[in-house]
Amino acid sequence: MTQLNNALTLFFSLLVEAIPFLLIGVVFSSALLLFVDERKLVAMMPKNPLLGALAGSMVGFLFPVCECGNVPVARRLIVQGAPASVAIGFLLAAPTVNPIVFWATWTAFRGQPEIVFLRIGFSLLIATIIGWVFSSQADLRPLLQPAVAQSMPAPQGRRSRRSKFAQSAEPASELLQSGTFLLNSSGQPMRMEAVGAQAALAASSVTTKPLSDRLQLMLDNVVQELRELGGVLILGSAIAAIVQVAIPREVILSLGQGPITSILAMMLLAWVVSICSTVDSFFALSFASTFTSGSLLAFLVFGPMIDVKNIGLLLSVFRGRAIVYLFALAAQLTFLLTLIINLYVS
Amino acid sequence: MTVRPKPIAQPQPRRLGSAFWLVVLDILAIATWGVLLLKYWLTGKLNVLLHPNYMWLANTAGICLLALSLLKAVQLLQITTQRSARNHFRSLPTMQHFSLFPRGWSSAMLLAVAVFGLQFTPQPFASEVALNRGVTDTLAMTRSQPQSFRSTTSPEERSVIDWIRTLDVYPEPDAYTGQQANVEGFVIHPPELPNNYLMISRFVITCCAADTYPVGLPVKLEGNRSAYPQDTWLRVKGSMITETLDGQRHLTIQASELEEIEEPENPYEY
Repeated sequence: MTQLNNALTLFFSLLVEAIPFLLIGVVFSSALLLFVDERKLVAMMPKNPLLGALAGSMVGFLFPVCECGNVPVARRLIVQGAPASVAIGFLLAAPTVNPIVFWATWTAFRGQPEIVFLRIGFSLLIATIIGWVFSSQADLRPLLQPAVAQSMPAPQGRRSRRSKFAQSAEPASELLQSGTFLLNSSGQPMRMEAVGAQAALAASSVTTKPLSDRLQLMLDNVVQELRELGGVLILGSAIAAIVQVAIPREVILSLGQGPITSILAMMLLAWVVSICSTVDSFFALSFASTFTSGSLLAFLVFGPMIDVKNIGLLLSVFRGRAIVYLFALAAQLTFLLTLIINLYVS
Repeated sequence: MTVRPKPIAQPQPRRLGSAFWLVVLDILAIATWGVLLLKYWLTGKLNVLLHPNYMWLANTAGICLLALSLLKAVQLLQITTQRSARNHFRSLPTMQHFSLFPRGWSSAMLLAVAVFGLQFTPQPFASEVALNRGVTDTLAMTRSQPQSFRSTTSPEERSVIDWIRTLDVYPEPDAYTGQQANVEGFVIHPPELPNNYLMISRFVITCCAADTYPVGLPVKLEGNRSAYPQDTWLRVKGSMITETLDGQRHLTIQASELEEIEEPENPYEY
């Protein structure tokens, strides 16, 4: 009975601490989604792949959205012709490298400021590296879902070499494609459907609507995200509370004190729990006394990049193969960096 | 006779109905959360859940959630009563959105948890959690560092956490021998201590109940500790001695006076 009571107190404490941050995150993300024109942003991005990846990773400071909001933004960035490095950098870093997440993490870990700065630093580093790696694939389209790929502008300059992904992606002959084609401004044939899809995706940028409409949409978006993310937050807090109270301390300690097992356990937990990045630091905090600092970092860095919840979301942009690459690279880099922290720093 | 053209594409009443109730569910869920946060504030139960630094966040969020539900309710009212508002709203583009659950589920879960929260009174943690989390008389390196350390505090004014912070700075227990102690806390009976010792403890909170951790000092009694059951709140007066407990030298209070006190409104120390 006491245990149940403790679990419930922990559960409500996590929720009460996290909900204000969730609310701020949701309001900001809705406002920016409706008031910032991504096309201008894309035009400002550097062309150099490494700088592009870094710049893309920092865009989160302008779009403080957590992972549920950033995939749709990344998708619009891709459709509007952002280079791969920028889009991937943004996709991976934006949920972590932004002022609201910084504040929430600071609130939770003000006793261990190194966690806050290492979280931001590692996320930037990993996102930049992966964005850079992906930039070697000049034409992103074979890695994207057909609907997104079709609505992308063709890469400029020489025709991209068809990679091995492209063959699996489009088995039909390039010469003999059925369907209706239009010539675009540069004289390249474009599929009729692609024109429609591009228009539809471009229309989702609502920055041209009158202010009152945008405010209506913003209210709608706030409620919608609050509902979705609140649901995930409740499940995540419940898991954290149950783990804290139900699993014997010896088990948690033996898992949490090993330099390698603790990192693996926390990465797995991050992947499963899928808690939103604005509030995940409070979840991690409940493990702070039993788990190594490296493993807490692994949770805070890896969780926002890829988890069960956002795989569904990523599938709306990328093909499965690209997600496997993203996942493997992010997991390995997180593991490596946090292991260094566990072995050499703390 | 004029023939009125039949209106085409009438909104189907069924679909409007289910969408209407889903929005009502959203509004109720958000409003109930607002009420819950405000209830914790007004009843003082927020003390059990949060560090005082962050209470304003929860209080503001409560007000904002109530305002949000009100705005949404006004919007819903406009859409259901004014056809022009409805048509205009339908013409707006919808944002692409990802959903993990079917639409009604999330709101229903949020509402259910908030309603449950209104019934549930959070209890501060007690000895069981303290024993489970491990009571220490040292602040591990990972813990929040002393916020305000004043070495000039006279010994009898130090609270349990003040003693622990003092020890953290200068850990030799003999340095404190003979100093007067006057601390408040709850009783724990750690299994590794002999029967005439108990631990006087407090929980320290840095953010929310998730990161509370217990600290405590051993108290040497004249008789058996069973006179003071676990979780009793005590004021302990006595003088400091050094005892070897469980193979380690510990700063210990030799109790001269033990007085049972009410559990404080705010059970944590900071």
